[in-house]
Amino acid sequence: MIPRVMVIGGGIAGIQAALDVANSGYEVVLVERLPSIGGHMAQLSETFPTLDCSQCIMTPRTVEVGHHEQIKLMTYSEVESVAGEVGHFRVRVRRAPTYVDWDACTGCGTCQQKCPYKAESDFERGIGPRKAIYTLNPQAVPNKPVIDPDACKWLLTRAEREAEGKKPQCGACQKLCPTEAIRFDDAPAYFEEEVGAIILATGYDLMSPARLPEYGGGMVADVIDGLAFERLLASSGPTAGAVRRPSDGATPKEIVFVQCAGSRDPEHGAPYCSKICCMYTAKQAMLYKHRVHDGQAHIFYIDVRAGGKRYEEFITRGIEEGTDYLRGKVSKIYRDGEKVIVRGADTLNGKPVTLAADLVVLAMAVLPAPTRRRSPRAWASRWTPTASSSRSTTSCSRWRARGPACTWPAWRPGRRTSPKRWRRRAARRARC
Amino acid sequence: MNKSRIGVFVCHCGLNIAATVDVARVVEAVRDDPGVAYAAEYKYMCSDPGQNMIKDAVREHNLDGVVVAACSPAMHQVTFRKTVAGVGMNPYRMESANIREQVSWVHQDDPERATLKAIETVRTIVEKVRRNEPLEPIAIPVNRRALVIGGGVAGLTAALDIADAGYPVILVERADALGGKMRQLSGTYLNFDAAPDMLAKRVARVQQHPHIQVLTSAEVMALEGYVGNFTVRVSCRGTARRAQGEPADRSDTPLPPLTPKSLSHRGRGDLKSPLRVRSPSPLSGRGGQGDEGEESFTFDVGAVVVATGWDSYPMAALAEYGAGEIPDVIDYLAFERMLAPGEAIRRPSDGRTPREVVFVQCAGSRDPANGVPYCSKVCCMVVPKQAMLLAERVPGAQAYVFYTDIRSAGKNYDEYVQRAMSERHVLYLRGKVSRLFREGDRVMVWGEDTLSGQAVEIAADLVVLATPLLAAEGARELAQRLRISTDAHGFYNEAHPKLRPVETLTAGVFVAGAGQGPKDIPETVAEASGAAAKALQLFAQDHITQEPTVAVVDADLCAACGACVEACPYGARSIHPVWHVATVQAALCQGCGACVAACPNKACSVRNWTPEQILGMADLYV
Ligand SMILES: Cc1cc2nc3c(=O)[nH]c(=O)nc-3n(C[C@H](O)[C@H](O)[C@H](O)COP(=O)(O)OP(=O)(O)OC[C@H]3O[C@@H](n4cnc5c(N)ncnc54)[C@H](O)[C@@H]3O)c2cc1C
Ligand SMILES: Cc1cc2nc3c(=O)[nH]c(=O)nc-3n(C[C@H](O)[C@H](O)[C@H](O)COP(=O)(O)OP(=O)(O)OC[C@H]3O[C@@H](n4cnc5c(N)ncnc54)[C@H](O)[C@@H]3O)c2cc1C
Ligand code: SF4
Ligand code: SF4
Ligand code: SF4
Ligand code: SF4
Ligand code: SF4
Repeated sequence: MIPRVMVIGGGIAGIQAALDVANSGYEVVLVERLPSIGGHMAQLSETFPTLDCSQCIMTPRTVEVGHHEQIKLMTYSEVESVAGEVGHFRVRVRRAPTYVDWDACTGCGTCQQKCPYKAESDFERGIGPRKAIYTLNPQAVPNKPVIDPDACKWLLTRAEREAEGKKPQCGACQKLCPTEAIRFDDAPAYFEEEVGAIILATGYDLMSPARLPEYGGGMVADVIDGLAFERLLASSGPTAGAVRRPSDGATPKEIVFVQCAGSRDPEHGAPYCSKICCMYTAKQAMLYKHRVHDGQAHIFYIDVRAGGKRYEEFITRGIEEGTDYLRGKVSKIYRDGEKVIVRGADTLNGKPVTLAADLVVLAMAVLPAPTRRRSPRAWASRWTPTASSSRSTTSCSRWRARGPACTWPAWRPGRRTSPKRWRRRAARRARC
Repeated sequence: MNKSRIGVFVCHCGLNIAATVDVARVVEAVRDDPGVAYAAEYKYMCSDPGQNMIKDAVREHNLDGVVVAACSPAMHQVTFRKTVAGVGMNPYRMESANIREQVSWVHQDDPERATLKAIETVRTIVEKVRRNEPLEPIAIPVNRRALVIGGGVAGLTAALDIADAGYPVILVERADALGGKMRQLSGTYLNFDAAPDMLAKRVARVQQHPHIQVLTSAEVMALEGYVGNFTVRVSCRGTARRAQGEPADRSDTPLPPLTPKSLSHRGRGDLKSPLRVRSPSPLSGRGGQGDEGEESFTFDVGAVVVATGWDSYPMAALAEYGAGEIPDVIDYLAFERMLAPGEAIRRPSDGRTPREVVFVQCAGSRDPANGVPYCSKVCCMVVPKQAMLLAERVPGAQAYVFYTDIRSAGKNYDEYVQRAMSERHVLYLRGKVSRLFREGDRVMVWGEDTLSGQAVEIAADLVVLATPLLAAEGARELAQRLRISTDAHGFYNEAHPKLRPVETLTAGVFVAGAGQGPKDIPETVAEASGAAAKALQLFAQDHITQEPTVAVVDADLCAACGACVEACPYGARSIHPVWHVATVQAALCQGCGACVAACPNKACSVRNWTPEQILGMADLYV
């Protein structure tokens, strides 16, 4: 029996499990796939039902994990294989190359400031960019950056330039790092850990809005998912907490929230209820009202599932503060000029409703975390888009009409994609 | 005191501080201050080179105190205290001066004044450190035995989890048998497992467990002490009752004998501190005899899990649904009894088997005007369960459900409700019931289907009300005895609704189950295991350490007026009965300083936050 525990997933669940085990006197190995711990809670603005700031209540815990003598933190790592049995597991962990020597790095942030290349940030849910060398957020634990090999000029140009006998381009971070921590020849590292028990806390992911084309998901820039809206509300987010819609940065005066988007829908999405969205939508509508006083929030719902201590009271407060609840299903969402048109039916009076919104937030279904996050490059190496899907030769009328302002996501550079999605988008493009 | 040799280390924090505050100027300004023996700056004090720099300076310059001017003490004070402890300095001779959150980040537009403020901030902290005493953390021994209050599924689970880890548990149940409300349930969702069967295994394990002592017909009368060292007084009716030959038990679970087995058990072999059982204790026999043959026991425990569960809503309070007046309007707990295996489904008025059954959800819940404002959470799932069981047991029966929202949020819960609708043809009507009255042998239900906008009328044989779950009777009084708080409805307050859901603000007292708020069995069990894990975390330590920055009393000045006793929000103060001075229970004191302000004789101070220190610091500002 090895008195040592592995926790897989460093969201709030994994953090709490690790701390409880470690504080009981046992050693813990915490494995997190992203460069730093915190999971989705690090992305949230304020949290229901008490509206305390997510980052503020979580930071003491992430910091405690970072300092804890009994916790071995392995971020940017994933479990490759598990052998053995209860009491004695042998776990092989793969640590992705960070291209930064974390022992030498002090987390000064110079590299992030100076790196001239940007990429779309998964953490910011497409609302804002990040640099090619990045940490997820300023409070990251550990506060050490990693280099994205698909965005870093040095790494991208290395093969080509070295073949020509020249130095790769950029290298700004390497020149500027005060502790000479950049390691462009970093490689994956493998570790073997022996533990007696394993706690799985890998959390969730939201279904991609692109799975709901009838809601404009993935096509209309101003149709975003709940986590993207959290980033808009978060004071540490790309807009510093100002609610601005992605397409033109205008403050939306009318927002439509669509609950159960992809949930409770065996035909198009998941058959189950995602449990959290009723509450976070109510919260988001409320926070929006706190930020934009003359704004109006409408929520399409089927049932308001506020079963929980102080939850019902929270919903009541939202309604008192002016949130408009519409019981019904949305059938179609599309762009019309400046506005996003939401068509649906109010099932309480049986009449169709049409709302002209500035921004639409879809409370997308909650899915289990994907088993493996592939780097875009891994996809690229398996499947290369053909010439017809490259932007300059597109036959898409939308693209021709709008040029670079086109919000058609398949054409945005740097966006992570998969062959399946590419194909689906190509098909959609053919239709438009 | 003026001979202090303090080192000041000013951090740039990359550009976080240095972009606004002129760090070099801060260093120059404080270098020659009284008590300062050394001053330096570095880009990242918290990095390894930065910490090494502090260590080297302490050794080289023979420093006896350190001030690090950097980020908030919440961030890295622990780090730096460890650093100085590494070279033999008392960690309480180190303090952080916050020149990031409170200076550079908030005054980015005015670097000049920010620098001045940084200098002042550093000086005040230097002034404080000059008078900082070297302190040792307070070690509090832990009594590794748990008290679990409430023998429902929450209490049983918590008791088993703690006992299985090898620690003794005392389980106090107010009723005369274990099991709680689950004893009254029929099949449970999602798979219709019979609740009593599931429960019986747990109850049997608890009763046979060598580490668990069960006290039924017992109540906790008082709790004294503090985390790791509580003394409880339990008053017991059970034995007296049995002596009088009263039927002690409604269920088939026999009353466990009061054996001293687990109390003499010392838990895990490696326990260092033996369990202390105060006399009078169940070990040595009986406690004092109360008025009506009651006995009270006193014993010591280290942690308390409160799992007192829920109670049902009085039907009399639901007069608008005809409850109490129409015999065939019952609550769903009563219907649950009819659905139990071996029971017949008969309506109360004439014993006939009902065919048309109307369920009314939210009857009294979500209704601030007539009932309770909160949602009772379980009924949206209990009703489809009951409707399905009804359809199975009574062929041809039709169930109607009036609802506002269907709150089936949970893994496979929504699918379960869908099943009730599609497979068992339960008819869900969204709307409120407007009137219920008797017509012949039927109960007429008038309501509105808000989805079709039509009025509906159902001639029902039986009406089942999904009534609110209330906090257990007596929860408020118990909470007072345990020094924990309740919300407006009598449910126990958790320390933090998201991050500390099973802890309370009284260290060492945990909550689990429906006593904290309405919840179903899966959630209850998860919470109970969580509370048990928290208790075990406590037991895993030889000693709990506490910050030594607690209040102290100057006995020469103290007049024993008791002002501090009243002021202390944590109950840490008392007047010593013999010496007649105020005393501080260090383990309870949070160093808040309320007593210092309250004391008319200036007899109190908080260690390392003495009035001299604070005034000295204030002098530097004005
Ligand atoms: C828009 C939105 C708003 C919300 N608002 C609130 C709110 O206001 N209040 C509230 O209480 N809740 C809210 N929630 C719910 C809250 O986000 C979740 O309850 C919580 O984040 C769950 O934490 P977790 O640790 O289980 O999962 P996660 O936060 O998802 O963490 C899982 C972690 O595991 C890692 N991981 C995954 N797979 C692997 C692997 N194979 N190997 C290693 N690591 C892996 C992930 O990178 C991640 O860091 C909201 C959710 C959403 C979507
Ligand atoms: C009609 C109905 C049907 C239900 N069906 C289901 C179902 O199918 N599935 C499901 O998951 N959930 C169901 N539930 C919910 C379920 O009953 C609760 O989740 C569960 O009982 C909670 O357990 P508990 O241990 O917290 O509380 P309880 O079961 O109430 O146990 C609390 C115990 O503490 C004791 N106690 C109270 N005060 C004191 C005191 N001061 N001192 C000492 N002891 C005290 C009580 O006597 C009791 O034994 C149903 C609820 C109802 C109303
Ligand atoms: S510049 Fe160097 S030391 Fe600073 S954060 Fe980047 S890698 Fe770390
Ligand atoms: S080499 Fe250039 S592009 Fe790559 S991470 Fe460093 S600064 Fe950014
Ligand atoms: S919006 Fe509400 S009902 Fe819909 S899936 Fe989310 S939690 Fe369930
Ligand atoms: S659980 Fe359902 S029936 Fe019960 S109070 Fe809540 S919404 Fe009403
Ligand atoms: S400092 Fe606060 S907690 Fe401590 S004894 Fe005084 S009033 Fe009580």
